[in-house]
Amino acid sequence: MKTSSLLKSAALVLALFGASARAAAQEPVRAEPSANVAAEHASPCEEYAPDDIVSPHITDSHCLELPSFPRFWVPHEVPLPRWEPIVVGGISFDMSPTRHVVMLLLASTLVCLTLILAARSHRRHTSMIGRPKGFSNGIEAMVLYIRQEVALPNLGHHGEGYVPFILTLFWFILFANLLGLIPYGSTATGNIAVTGTLAIITFFMVEIAGIRANGIGYLNTIFYWNKELPVGVREFMFLLMTPVEIIGKFSKPFALAIRLFANMTAGHIVVLGMISLIFAFKNIWIVPAPLLMATAIMVLELFVSFLQAFIFALLASVFIGTIRAHH
Amino acid sequence: MRTLRNAVALLTIAATTAGAEEVKKSLLEPSYGLMVWTLFIFAILVFILSKYAFGPITAAVEAREKALEDAIESARRDREEAAKLLAEHRAALDASRGEAQKLIADARVAAERVAAEMIEKAHADQAQQLVRARQEIETEKAKAISELRREAVDLAIAGAGKVIEKNLDQAGNRQLVESFLASVTANAVATSR
Repeated sequence: MKTSSLLKSAALVLALFGASARAAAQEPVRAEPSANVAAEHASPCEEYAPDDIVSPHITDSHCLELPSFPRFWVPHEVPLPRWEPIVVGGISFDMSPTRHVVMLLLASTLVCLTLILAARSHRRHTSMIGRPKGFSNGIEAMVLYIRQEVALPNLGHHGEGYVPFILTLFWFILFANLLGLIPYGSTATGNIAVTGTLAIITFFMVEIAGIRANGIGYLNTIFYWNKELPVGVREFMFLLMTPVEIIGKFSKPFALAIRLFANMTAGHIVVLGMISLIFAFKNIWIVPAPLLMATAIMVLELFVSFLQAFIFALLASVFIGTIRAHH
Repeated sequence: MRTLRNAVALLTIAATTAGAEEVKKSLLEPSYGLMVWTLFIFAILVFILSKYAFGPITAAVEAREKALEDAIESARRDREEAAKLLAEHRAALDASRGEAQKLIADARVAAERVAAEMIEKAHADQAQQLVRARQEIETEKAKAISELRREAVDLAIAGAGKVIEKNLDQAGNRQLVESFLASVTANAVATSR
């Protein structure tokens, strides 16, 4: 009996990822505000199926959710301005600010505030007592860790010029990740456009680093031409390995983009799935269990936020270091 | 069995609904506008942060590292210098201690020598005084003997005079006694020596 109920609940979770009609037919008994609002009140700006509680949380929107009082579980939805798309070369760029754009701007503002204020108090403390203390000391520890333990060893000799890029990647992704965990927030790094752009920037940084470090030898990272091989084998390997090299160049940033996007999205879907269990069971006594599980997943999400920012920065420095050391 | 059937049914529903959703909104379809936004925001962020945050922090940390290295270096130098000074002082102390020992030994030797000399000198003086006393005794003795002899001669003469006064002339007798006494003295001195 026990195993069958377990199987049933597992199937239910899976079903709810697609948001079954059965779950939303019921009024939510008790849930986190960010979980039930969208199910109850579909956004006027974005049209979702009334039973779809997952999509509004993991997709972008032209509306901003702000706290409202006293019914804080019903967010105050603010429509963002809509601009005419700019068409460049047949591709239409809709530059209207979306929720994720706001989150990115918020994240970068917070990063700037945090780091610049930390740098200032760092300097003040350093001039006063010869060392930083408190918060700026903690920021220094994180900055220094990324710089000394992650970036510089992987970037190789004279890699100091790429350190600000790696550090910015880490802090920007970290803050964007964390903004997705707070109420009314949204995970911009759970959007393939954001992670894809970061990966494309990394791709260009890697290639530019390769050109700067190897000069004309950069072509060796594209065309496989091993002079140690005998003449016939050399041409054969050239034909075989060159596509592999080129695919490798694109697969690395692609993996970066998908890794960050999937990690950020998956965590939110799991949390929403946990909350949905309450509606699926239609039983008030079941509430503590999904809430506990969702809380545990949120704690895991907090860890994953740091981990994925770290991994993105680490892999970016590894890629840059690898191409710089290419011979 | 019923549970399994239910599960399969639910999964089918999930699959169909998910498929239906995908038509409306795809997670994997990037919005070009957002990409441009991300690019701009990230580029500006790199610029601002490297100029106002990472630069100063790194500079401050490097300055502090340098200061620390300098402090460690100077501390090492100071310690070496102190060790050198300590060794020097120890050597000086050892040297002065040895000197003191030598001085004491020298003084002891000198004192012993002086004492020995004084004892020797005392011995010599004593011997000299002994000799002198002995000489004086001899002289006095000789003087006394000659005195005694003259007294004896006078006495003898006086005695003999009294005896001979009656019958003999003074001069002839006196000569006789003198010659006799001379022979006696010569004999006495020879026997006493």
